[in-house]
Amino acid sequence: MIKNPSHPKKGHIKTRECKFSKAGTEYIDYKDTEVLQRFMNDQGRILPRRVTGTSAKYQRQLSRAIKRARFLGMIPYVADNLR
Amino acid sequence: MSKSYYELTYIINPVLEDDQYEEIVGKFTNIIKDNDGEIDEVDEWGIRKFEYEMDGKTNGYYVNAYFHAPGDLIEKLERAMRIDDNIMRYLTLKYDAKMLRHRELQKKNAVPNIFAFEDEDEQNDEDED
Repeated sequence: MIKNPSHPKKGHIKTRECKFSKAGTEYIDYKDTEVLQRFMNDQGRILPRRVTGTSAKYQRQLSRAIKRARFLGMIPYVADNLR
Repeated sequence: MSKSYYELTYIINPVLEDDQYEEIVGKFTNIIKDNDGEIDEVDEWGIRKFEYEMDGKTNGYYVNAYFHAPGDLIEKLERAMRIDDNIMRYLTLKYDAKMLRHRELQKKNAVPNIFAFEDEDEQNDEDED
């Protein structure tokens, strides 16, 4: 990831693996809200690939599934955490 | 005519009586049957709370159905859904090969668990950007 051998983050950043590829998932279902919520922050935003390590293929499926679940009111568009 | 596999989820207005839900579910199930469709499964999830307010309501009656049908049924079905005032939302998905395989696994309760190989060092992740 970082080519410079003297970079301060060298050896500190570890490569993450795509959880979906690892598990051999073929399709991400919008009904699995528990799974979807693991890839969202507490405001209800979709976490970027660079944070979760999801591969591009599954990130596309994931965002599609999250958007479907949002449409059907199973996941919030924006969570109000004003507590 | 060739048939495809579809999944349909819709939300019924929650202010109705119990027998009215049955009537609406029956109505759409019959639309599918009358137009050459074959019902695979109809699953009524019942009243479920929304995560956000939808048309001034906080919960809705969810129905999830799977069926085989020719393509022109979907048009008729969705038209009927749009006309019916008690349907708040609907979502129809056509299943492709991958989704069908996923559905088979789902039926056997063998969907691969994504968090099976969860790392123990989750906490360490937070201090990086």
